[in-house]
Amino acid sequence: MDTVIIDGLSFALPLFIIAIGGIYSEKSGITNLALEGFQGFGAFVGALSAVLIAHTSGIGVEHLFYVALLFSMIGGMMFSIIHAVLCIKFKADQVISGVVINILALALTTFLTAQINVLVFGQASDRFQLGVSDRFTIEFLANIPVIGAAFTNIYPFEIIIVIIACFAWYLLYKSKFGMRLRAAGENPHSVDAAGVDVSKVRFSAVLISGLLSGLGGMCFAYSISANFSSSIYMGYGFLAIAALIFGNWKILPTLVACLIFGFAKSGGSAIAMVMELPSSFTDLFMTLPYVLTLLLLIFFSKSNRAPRALGEIYDKGKR
Amino acid sequence: MSDYIVEMKHITKRFPGIVANDDVSIGIKKGEIFALLGENGAGKSTLMSILSGMYEPDEGEVYIRGEKVQISSPNHAAKLNIGMVHQHFKLVPDYTITENIILGIEPMKRFAGIFPYVDIQSANRKIEELSKSFGLEVDPKKRITDLTVSMQQRVEILKVLYREAEILIFDEPTAVLTPQEIEFLLDIIEGLRQGGKTIILITHKLDEIKKVADRCAVLNKGKLIDVLDVKETSTNYMAQLMVGREVSFESAKTPAQMKDEVLKVENLTVKNEDGFEVVKDVSFSIRGGEIFAIAGVADNGQVEIADAIAGLTKVSSGKILLNEQDITDERIRKRTEAGISYIPEDRQSVGLILDFDVATNLALKQYYKEPFSRNGILNKEEFDQFGNRLIEKYDIRSGQGIQTQVRSMSGGNQQKAIIAREIELQSPLMIFVQPTRGVDIGAIENIHKMMIQERDKGKAILLVSLELDEIMDVADTIGVIYNGRLQKVASSESLTKNEVGEYMMGAKHG
Ligand SMILES: Nc1ncnc2c1ncn2[C@@H]1O[C@H](COP(=O)(O)OP(=O)(O)OP(=O)(O)O)[C@@H](O)[C@H]1O
Ligand SMILES: [Mg+2]
Repeated sequence: MDTVIIDGLSFALPLFIIAIGGIYSEKSGITNLALEGFQGFGAFVGALSAVLIAHTSGIGVEHLFYVALLFSMIGGMMFSIIHAVLCIKFKADQVISGVVINILALALTTFLTAQINVLVFGQASDRFQLGVSDRFTIEFLANIPVIGAAFTNIYPFEIIIVIIACFAWYLLYKSKFGMRLRAAGENPHSVDAAGVDVSKVRFSAVLISGLLSGLGGMCFAYSISANFSSSIYMGYGFLAIAALIFGNWKILPTLVACLIFGFAKSGGSAIAMVMELPSSFTDLFMTLPYVLTLLLLIFFSKSNRAPRALGEIYDKGKR
Repeated sequence: MSDYIVEMKHITKRFPGIVANDDVSIGIKKGEIFALLGENGAGKSTLMSILSGMYEPDEGEVYIRGEKVQISSPNHAAKLNIGMVHQHFKLVPDYTITENIILGIEPMKRFAGIFPYVDIQSANRKIEELSKSFGLEVDPKKRITDLTVSMQQRVEILKVLYREAEILIFDEPTAVLTPQEIEFLLDIIEGLRQGGKTIILITHKLDEIKKVADRCAVLNKGKLIDVLDVKETSTNYMAQLMVGREVSFESAKTPAQMKDEVLKVENLTVKNEDGFEVVKDVSFSIRGGEIFAIAGVADNGQVEIADAIAGLTKVSSGKILLNEQDITDERIRKRTEAGISYIPEDRQSVGLILDFDVATNLALKQYYKEPFSRNGILNKEEFDQFGNRLIEKYDIRSGQGIQTQVRSMSGGNQQKAIIAREIELQSPLMIFVQPTRGVDIGAIENIHKMMIQERDKGKAILLVSLELDEIMDVADTIGVIYNGRLQKVASSESLTKNEVGEYMMGAKHG
């Protein structure tokens, strides 16, 4: 039971922060299917910086987690510029742009990982070894029955994510930037009429989605997989999109959706373990979150409402 | 320094294929209500868009309080205390009134001295005060989705007042309002003037100008014809000046020659999205050669009746028969082919595809048929010929003829395009919902003539209008609706305008 909670949380929170990125972008009116690519590319940049610094300085790569985190955010953000420029400046179709960016991220990072491994480290490998980040337990809370597990064996990034998520909530709902951002996704004409540059607002929103996705991707790389490789493209970005849709493009309900996914995943592996099924069955159980996605879609898609101007190209000249 | 607060000198603005403003010079005095009158496409909206910073003039100069300015953006205009109340509202539906108003100039406060946040509370208070002082009666905490059109308009007014506008421009503010709401708005405008504001009012309704305006400029095809002193000018003269010919306000209508029944509506009940009955057990019939008008205050179910007949909303119970054929559950195209023309209330979202050109929009209901397409391939030439013929016949004015993008056309001409398309279908049943909204008086006269002409050809015509005068003028039979129920159906000769008014308010039952 404890491991279900512990593993569930460590999966749900990175997913959550990626989903928040998606919320920012979509609330501003830009459809974002590129979350998958952002988190992968961000993780790549973070992982690369970590292994390079480890290589030159001799510090163990598992201790460079915070450095990697920082660079992953920068990497994700830089990569998201492509989506922002294509969709906002060149008014490209947002769905196509998102799909292309995902393909680009996969191809580019796989290629670069292999090349850099050969050129810099002199070894043929398709991954950067990272290790698993340290964990800690908050003793006095960990002793509470059931909930205590939530405070046991925590990755530091879980705390970081919670803090950033709070800030993201505040920025979206309390600041003037957030107010303009949400208005841009509902009726960009009203934002324009108020003398605010719609493009700028949307541009920042997409960059924020890149930044947060990069962060989420890095957390996955330092926990679940303990390395960076193309296996980072497991569809987590899409799962985050599903979560934000179930969450009705709102931060708190999206957290609930992410937790459901997280516990479904960890619960699935736990069941497989308890029943001592062969590993092929574990794979089957791993599909649980996705099956759940389909089921939830049936119930939620009816009552949920996307931002009104989502995916619509904004043309100032229209009257 | 002159005593004008706004002076526009020799303004010329060209669009592809058209001179929208041609050497126009006007001066507006501080504290007056200045009206702009002119046919559809005369250039009224364009002239005011220049003043509010949306367009830059190709030639000419603008002076505000005696100082020459180049107004580069709506923001800049706001700094010069100029604000425009747009014809098409620009509001965020899910936001409250306050949030909409403060968007772009949000008042801030700090939480714990560090985190800045938007100070909704103080904005609420300020807007409440502002609303009170000008008699606008809005509750700042309400959401836009819960507001009527007239309320939304007041939000737009508050938006410019909140930005401390001294010069307020209203572009056809009454086109979307009911007669009662118009009264209220005119009072507000009068109140604004008393509060020291300068008002520019664009409208097609002469009695409104007569009621509130001090002076009135008349535009025709981009040129300034004259500036009139409203008190000393008759509405007849204004109309004549504007259209360039005599306008008769009475329609020359002969008695109806009624034929067989074309439309029969039996016990129609329609529910809205929230499951609330908006049309309740309504029955009536229209015969060929008859104009049947539904009179009523806005939002009493009349539009839903029209939508249900045209197939835009689902019927929850009852029957609709067209030429004795049951069409209650038919698809829209089937209905069109069975013989329904429909001029919807919302021309921009239901009536037209704004980014398509005029030719395509005019052929929109026939494009799949011969001669517009053969074996599924569109015949461009046929579109063009058809388009040109209709532009000529219905006097649809635009910059580039059939190639004009509909979005760039003036509001009134968009409406004329829909009417042309629907009448050309020559359907046995024609439904007109608010056909003369935003249309100039010359064109109103034409539309009324056309309706009567079609009637005389034996068509059945259903008219839904909020304008009682229009109904009294053209209808043969009047059905008065109140709260979703038809209160009274009678021939138009047997009813006086006052009686209809009483039924409309639910004060009298038939
Ligand atoms: N953005 C634009 N691009 C091209 N042509 C335009 C544009 N805006 C206006 N026009 C043209 O300029 C002319 C004047 O338009 P305007 O909207 O000023 O008319 P209006 O007097 O307000 O008419 P209405 O009473 O119908 O609203 C019209 O022929 C219109 O087609
Ligand atoms: Mg206009």
